[in-house]
Amino acid sequence: MLKLLWLIPALPLASSLLLILTQGRLPRAAVAALGVGSVGLAALIAFAIAAGFDMGTTYSQHLWQWFAIGSLQPGFSFYLDGLSLVMLLVVTGVGFLIHLYASAYMHPDPDYSRFFASMNLFLAAMLVLVLADNLLLLYLGWEGVGLCSYLLIGFWYQDPANGAAARKAFVITRVGDTAMAIGLFLLVREFGTLDIQQVLSAAPERWPDGSTLATACALLLLGGAVGKSAQLPLQNWLPDAMAGPTPVSALIHAATMVTAGVYLIARTHDLFLLAPAAQTLVAVVGVLTLLLAGYSALAQTDIKRILAYSTISQIGYMFLALGVGAWSAGIFHLVTHAFFKALLFLSAGSLILALHHQQDIRAMGGLYRRTPLLFGCFLVGSACLAALPLTSGFFSKEPILAQAWESSALLWLGALLGAGLTALYSFRLMFVVFFGPLQTPPQPLDMPPTIKARMPAVLLVLALLSLFGGALSLPLDGVLPATEAHPPMLVEAVGIGVPLLGVYLAYHFYLARPERLTQLLKFRGSRRLQILAQSGGGFDWLYDRFLRTPFIWLAKTNRDDAADLISRGTAGLSRYSHQLLAETQNGQLRWYASLMGLGLAFLIGMGVLT
Amino acid sequence: MTADALFSLLPLILLALTAVGLVLLIGFYRNLQLSFALAMGGLLLALVSLLPVAGVLPQQATPLLIMDSYALFFSGLTLVTALLLLPLCHEHWRRQTSLNDEFYLLFLLAVMGALVLVASNHFVSLFLGLELLSLPLVIMVGYPFKPGFTPSLEAAVKYLVLSGAASAMLLFGIALIYLHSGTLAFAPLEPGLIRLPGPQNPLLLTGLILALAGIAFKLSLVPFHFWTPDVYQGAPLPATALLATLAKGALFALLLRFYLLSEGYLIGPLVWALTLIAIASMLAGNLLALLQDNLKRLLAYSSIGHFGYLLVALLAVSQSLGTALAVEAVSYYLVAYLFSTLAAFAVLVRLSGEDREAETLEDCRGLFWRHPWLATTLTLAMLSLAGIPLTIGFVGKFYIFAAAVEESLWLVLLVVVIASGIGLFYYLRVILMMTHQDAGPESDEASAPHWSSHTVTGILVAATLWFGVYPAPLITLIRHLTLAVN
Repeated sequence: MLKLLWLIPALPLASSLLLILTQGRLPRAAVAALGVGSVGLAALIAFAIAAGFDMGTTYSQHLWQWFAIGSLQPGFSFYLDGLSLVMLLVVTGVGFLIHLYASAYMHPDPDYSRFFASMNLFLAAMLVLVLADNLLLLYLGWEGVGLCSYLLIGFWYQDPANGAAARKAFVITRVGDTAMAIGLFLLVREFGTLDIQQVLSAAPERWPDGSTLATACALLLLGGAVGKSAQLPLQNWLPDAMAGPTPVSALIHAATMVTAGVYLIARTHDLFLLAPAAQTLVAVVGVLTLLLAGYSALAQTDIKRILAYSTISQIGYMFLALGVGAWSAGIFHLVTHAFFKALLFLSAGSLILALHHQQDIRAMGGLYRRTPLLFGCFLVGSACLAALPLTSGFFSKEPILAQAWESSALLWLGALLGAGLTALYSFRLMFVVFFGPLQTPPQPLDMPPTIKARMPAVLLVLALLSLFGGALSLPLDGVLPATEAHPPMLVEAVGIGVPLLGVYLAYHFYLARPERLTQLLKFRGSRRLQILAQSGGGFDWLYDRFLRTPFIWLAKTNRDDAADLISRGTAGLSRYSHQLLAETQNGQLRWYASLMGLGLAFLIGMGVLT
Repeated sequence: MTADALFSLLPLILLALTAVGLVLLIGFYRNLQLSFALAMGGLLLALVSLLPVAGVLPQQATPLLIMDSYALFFSGLTLVTALLLLPLCHEHWRRQTSLNDEFYLLFLLAVMGALVLVASNHFVSLFLGLELLSLPLVIMVGYPFKPGFTPSLEAAVKYLVLSGAASAMLLFGIALIYLHSGTLAFAPLEPGLIRLPGPQNPLLLTGLILALAGIAFKLSLVPFHFWTPDVYQGAPLPATALLATLAKGALFALLLRFYLLSEGYLIGPLVWALTLIAIASMLAGNLLALLQDNLKRLLAYSSIGHFGYLLVALLAVSQSLGTALAVEAVSYYLVAYLFSTLAAFAVLVRLSGEDREAETLEDCRGLFWRHPWLATTLTLAMLSLAGIPLTIGFVGKFYIFAAAVEESLWLVLLVVVIASGIGLFYYLRVILMMTHQDAGPESDEASAPHWSSHTVTGILVAATLWFGVYPAPLITLIRHLTLAVN
């Protein structure tokens, strides 16, 4: 069964190529069969492999050599261990569910085929990223998912705003990718190879703990992770990325691609263990991001943007986990987050469809009787997100908080505050959308019932996974360093209590006594705080003011520099010579004859006299 | 003369017979289609006759003509060019209301002149061939596009007068060379330098430069190029195409043979004169074309530049390194130039209407949206002339480069690079014009094109691409056939 590993990325890739080559000439049913079927088959193979996989062992599959320059010999080789297996299952499993959902959600779209071509290509790239046994192949997948993210954010390219959002995502993640590329160069220079296992085993022998080079490498890789996973300071592309279709937001911008940074750090954790400073920075970045994003989510009114900020904040938790050494907990949270965030996004998608593409939560309300299924799904998802006891989110977030407590009280406090914020904003969403007076009545979907039925089916599966995903045990022992944290009972109790407090506050301010909130917002200070939250911390403004504007100014100032002088000078010289020479072509025979004679005389004179 | 020697002249004889037949046909029955078919048949027969002729090579047929594999290759090239050109002429003339079937007769005579030139190793045959080529050309240039159309007459007069002057220079030069060497056959001039006092003989040098000037005029090399744009523009398109391709190609083949046989590369001042002419031609040709809006003039200037490049290959001939690479370079470049230029003219002919020729850049505006295939053809032609990879022109230019590098002609090479850079501008300008969004003038292709001109366009496109991507077969052929001249 393991021999079939290569098929897992190859199937979606083949389907994507087929869809690209047929250029949308296939009927919808065939497109859906190809696009969903290929992913489903890949998922089946993945689960079959997982069933037969001897946990604790590893498996490598070498397909072919990519190129060979000295000792740098990257191949198309896949590497399977507990960590990549977990990622493999999440990507194919959740990927398949979202594809199935999308086959219904995108059904009315004229570019159905292009959508699935991009989605399948994304999945192939993501699987290459996850399975790569060397960092160069991983980088190929890394850039591949970046490209597909760009293509899918700008999927409805007719609206220039979507194109702008796609460009923003592409450019900002490129900043991180550049750092990562430099990190890879550094690793090649130091070790002569990019094979992950070789690098990780060689690094502790060559570098002492906390050496500068190890820190530099770890920091550069962190740069890449921060860009891809939308963490501070490169987090501001993700809210705009919600311009893409909702299944895209669920798959790429919540469940899989944005967690690639977490995977990268976990994959190269030995490097981070050698660089405690870098690892601490991972935790600090995580905490700051989760606080800022949680705070920003409070003031958003677009349902997808709320979820986007919550994604940033939850990935912040994963970073925190990696930073404080709760490696397995971080990956566990990645898995449960993939379940409940996909559930939330897809439920939001169904809601948006039912409300005729209304995304503003202020225009929603009182929907819990009209859409009971969506209400249930949202309730499950929000409970997981808020880490209410017995949900999967609780089981994955609890060890993170515990380890943070062991590591530093400040980090723990930040994470705790974040947990409160999470509960507050997620239940604000619940109360505003589903309770209160009915604003927009939902409409039945105009779609064949067999196709329409796919959406609630997927939602139910995801809801079950979210509820009971906490019972999973991941085969990460031996791959990632195991840690045990036993904080005092009081700390754990506070960890359980704060989210409940958050839920109560949400109930108080958004359902029971909304007038108190209005009163609160009358203060000038709080008004400013609200604006700050709405703008996501003002990073767009900051970058615009301190990066974009000076850059444009510099470019404008530098328009007529010496380099331009050369190119313009040659152009001018050519033009001038042309005009000069054109004067000789005056159409007069006598003039031509005399010039010929002169030329001849000159040539003979030269020839004879020299 | 032996029977084999006579047999080796079979292509020439066949063409002469066809010409006589055509005269008789026109005398008794005038029909454009029939004359065209007869001329095509004669040319095809002549081309096919090269196959048996190849078996008896080399032959010195009379002291005037030599049929060796070099002559065979360029005869073949000349005939193929003529076969590709004639359908374009037909496409042009069949649109006219007046009957112009004598044009094909003149065309055949010019091709005969070209065949004589490529087989000539004697000054007499050189002069005969050149005049046989030039005199019909004067008449063809003067063909009015329609009754009362005078620019072609003006062009013909200009060409006649200046060409006469050039012929006089050539004759005078031949006389001076004869005075020095005592023979009219192409022979090494070096022994003469030893026989006469002084390291250089002013009379011989003057003669050589005069003869060179005569040939340079026909090749429109600077400073004997002034006639080119005016004549190109005034002449009807078929005559312009003939002038640009067949006439110049054959003459350059002759120049190369003369240069090699007379060992001109040993005479310093001659090499200097050639270097100057080459540099001036490359720069002036490309600079003059820079902002040119008339495509016929643009092609005229571009041809000046291209023959400058060809001279670079000529300069790469030297005693030390042998001649093989230079000969290969010239041959390949000529093929590339002929095919690309023909493709450009083919598009112009196809775009022309009954009452006016398509010759301005404006006629090409938005061509991609009106005639995608013609636009593709012209694009390929322009890219090939500019020497962009994957076209035949790139391989040709690469050859020139390789030859010049081999011989360390750094100054000339620098000029090649600069001139190519300038050239790129006006070639791309044409392509840019074709991709213009607004459609430009309405389609001029009034009547459906003749199938033969369709075929010619297809062949030219295929050859431009095929020999650009996979040049090996053509290179092998050239290597095989041009070895004889060494």
